[in-house]
Amino acid sequence: MLELESISVAAGDFRLSDISLTIAEGECHAVLGPSGSGKSTLLNAVLGVLPPQSGRIHLHGEDITSRPIERRGLGYMPQQIGLFPHLSVRDNLLYSPRARGVPPAQYKLLLDMLIEATGIGELLGRFPRTLSGGERQRVGLVRALASQPRLVLLDEPFASLNESLRRELWWLVRELQRRQKLTVLLVTHNLIEAYLLAGRISVLMGGRIRQTGDKTSVYRRPAARSIARFLGVNNLWDGIVTARDGDRLTVECPAVGISAQLPAGNKPPALQARVTVGILAEHVALRDAAHPPKSDEHILTGRINLIDLGPRWVLQFHPASSEIILEIHLGRRVVEHFGLTDGRTEVTVGLPNGALFWMQND
Amino acid sequence: MMNFRHTTIGAALLVLALYGGLIVSLSWFLEWPTLRETLTSARTLFSVRLSLFGATVAASLAILLAVPAAYGLSRYRFRSRELVDTILEFPIIVSPAALGAILLIFFNNPLGEWVQAHAVRFVFTFAGIVLAQFVTILGIAVRLLKTSFDEVPVELETVARTLGATPRHAFYTVTLPLARRGLLAAFILSWAKALGEFGATIMVAGTMAMRTETLPIAIYLRLATADIEGTVALILVLVATGLAALALSRWLLGRAAHA
Repeated sequence: MLELESISVAAGDFRLSDISLTIAEGECHAVLGPSGSGKSTLLNAVLGVLPPQSGRIHLHGEDITSRPIERRGLGYMPQQIGLFPHLSVRDNLLYSPRARGVPPAQYKLLLDMLIEATGIGELLGRFPRTLSGGERQRVGLVRALASQPRLVLLDEPFASLNESLRRELWWLVRELQRRQKLTVLLVTHNLIEAYLLAGRISVLMGGRIRQTGDKTSVYRRPAARSIARFLGVNNLWDGIVTARDGDRLTVECPAVGISAQLPAGNKPPALQARVTVGILAEHVALRDAAHPPKSDEHILTGRINLIDLGPRWVLQFHPASSEIILEIHLGRRVVEHFGLTDGRTEVTVGLPNGALFWMQND
Repeated sequence: MMNFRHTTIGAALLVLALYGGLIVSLSWFLEWPTLRETLTSARTLFSVRLSLFGATVAASLAILLAVPAAYGLSRYRFRSRELVDTILEFPIIVSPAALGAILLIFFNNPLGEWVQAHAVRFVFTFAGIVLAQFVTILGIAVRLLKTSFDEVPVELETVARTLGATPRHAFYTVTLPLARRGLLAAFILSWAKALGEFGATIMVAGTMAMRTETLPIAIYLRLATADIEGTVALILVLVATGLAALALSRWLLGRAAHA
C-alpha cells in the first residue's frame, strides 16, 4: 500500500501542495490531470528524484521519504520507456539482477512468464533501436515488472503509440496488473487510459489533488466546474440556488430555462449562491411520439447538428428558447432509429432531473 | 546573384582553401635533403616523442579530472556551479602565454616553492610541460564532456536506479557507455590541443634542447635562427601528426557511433 501524507514538492517555480493519497495493495490508481498540472512532479517525488519539502511517503508501512531510489522497490516506466540503447533486450532485462548482485536464476521463473505473456521471446538478441514502438513498450514493461517491484509507476507510457497498439497494450497491462496483483500508480492525461486501467482516480490540477474517488463517481459527479471540463463534460451552466428544503435544493438555470431539484450533498451551498449545473452528454434523451417525455424530465425543443465520430454520434443541440449549445452523445443505432439528419429543424430532448448535478464554481 | 546554398558552400570551401593553401605554400621552401635530415635527426625524434608522450599524459590527466567534474556540472545544482561553469573558459580568454606566466609566478611564491622543493619540480622539466598543457586543455575537456553528459537523458539513470543500481553503478553502466563518443572526442581534441601547445609550455618548461623542446618549441627555435627549410620540415611533422590524430579520431568516433 502506498500512502502519501500531505506531501509538498517544489520543482523550479512549480509547487505541488499538500498531496495526500492512498493506493491499496493490488490496486491501480490513476492520477489524471492536464499538462502542467504536476503529474510528473508527483511521480518524481514518489520515485525519490525530488525530495518532498514536507510530508511523508509510506510504502507497505515503511517510511521511504528519504530512502534512495534504488532501495524503494519501485518499477518505473517513463513515457520514453528508457530502454538502455547500448544493451540488447536480454541485457536490458537482466540489468536489475546484475545491478542488485542477485543470480539471474532467481528472476527466471517470473521473467519467463512475463516474456511469454508479452510475446517478446523473439526479441531478446536485438537492440532497442531495431524495435518498433510497441515492442519497446513490451520490453520496458517486462523489465519494470521482472524485478518484482512493490509499486509500479507508469508515466504516460503509451502516449507515443498509435491508437490500436495503445489499446492492445492497455489490455495487456490490465491483464498483468490483475494477474500479478500489482500496486500501480499511473499518471496520465488520457481519460480512456485512466478509466481502462484504474479502479480509482485522482484529478490533479494546478499542483493540487482536486478530487479522488471511485472512477465512476468522479466522472458522474465531478466536484468542480474545472474538473468537469477536464473530464470532457461540456453541458455546464450557471445556476443560482433559489430554495433549500432539507436535503433538496432548487437551482434555477436561466440560460437553459430550467429549474432543477437537486440533492444538497455534504456541503450544501447557501441560498442565492452561484453554482454550476451539469449533465453528461450521454444522459440527454431524445424524445418523439414513440418515446414520450418522462415526468421528471426537463423538455427542450430545438434543432441539431450531427457529427459522425465513427463509433458514436455527437449531436449539437440548439434549443429554440436559449443561446446555449447542448452536447448529446448517441449510439449509431439510436441515430438511425430516430432517422436524424443534420440540420433537422424540430427535435425534442429530455433532461432527466435525476441526471442533473450541481458543483462549486471555480 | 548567388543563392544562399551557394554562398554557404562557398564559405565552407574558403575555409578549406585558407588552411589547405597555407599548408601547400610551405612547399615553396621545402627541400627534400633538409626534410630527410630533419626527420631523422635525434633532436627532432626527441621532440616528436616528447610532444606525443607529453600530450598523451596531459590529455589523460585532464580527462580523469574532467569526467567527474563535467558529470557534477551536468547533473547537480550546487552553490558556485555557475562560477565553475564560467571559469572553464578561463584558459581560452587568457592567452596561453599569460597562463604559463601565471604558473611560473605561482612557483615563485612560498606555496609554489614548497611544491617545487617537496613534491614535484615543474619549472624547466617534463612535469612542467605536462602541467602547462594540462592547465590549457582542462577547461575545454570539461566543457566537451559536460555537453556529452547533458545529451544522455537523466531519465535513463533514474530507470537504472529503480532497477537497483546505485548512482555510481548507473554512471558506469549507463551514462559513461552512452557518452563514449563524447569521451573519445574530448580526449582526442584535448590531446591535439596539447600537442600544439606553445605559449604556456615555453613559459614553464623553457626551451632546453633534448630536455623540454616540444615540437612547437622546436619550430620556434628553428625560425628564430632563420632556418626556414628546417622550420618547414618540423611544421610538416606537426601537421602530419595532427592530421593523423584527427583521422584516427574520426574513425574511432564513427565506430563508437555505430557500436
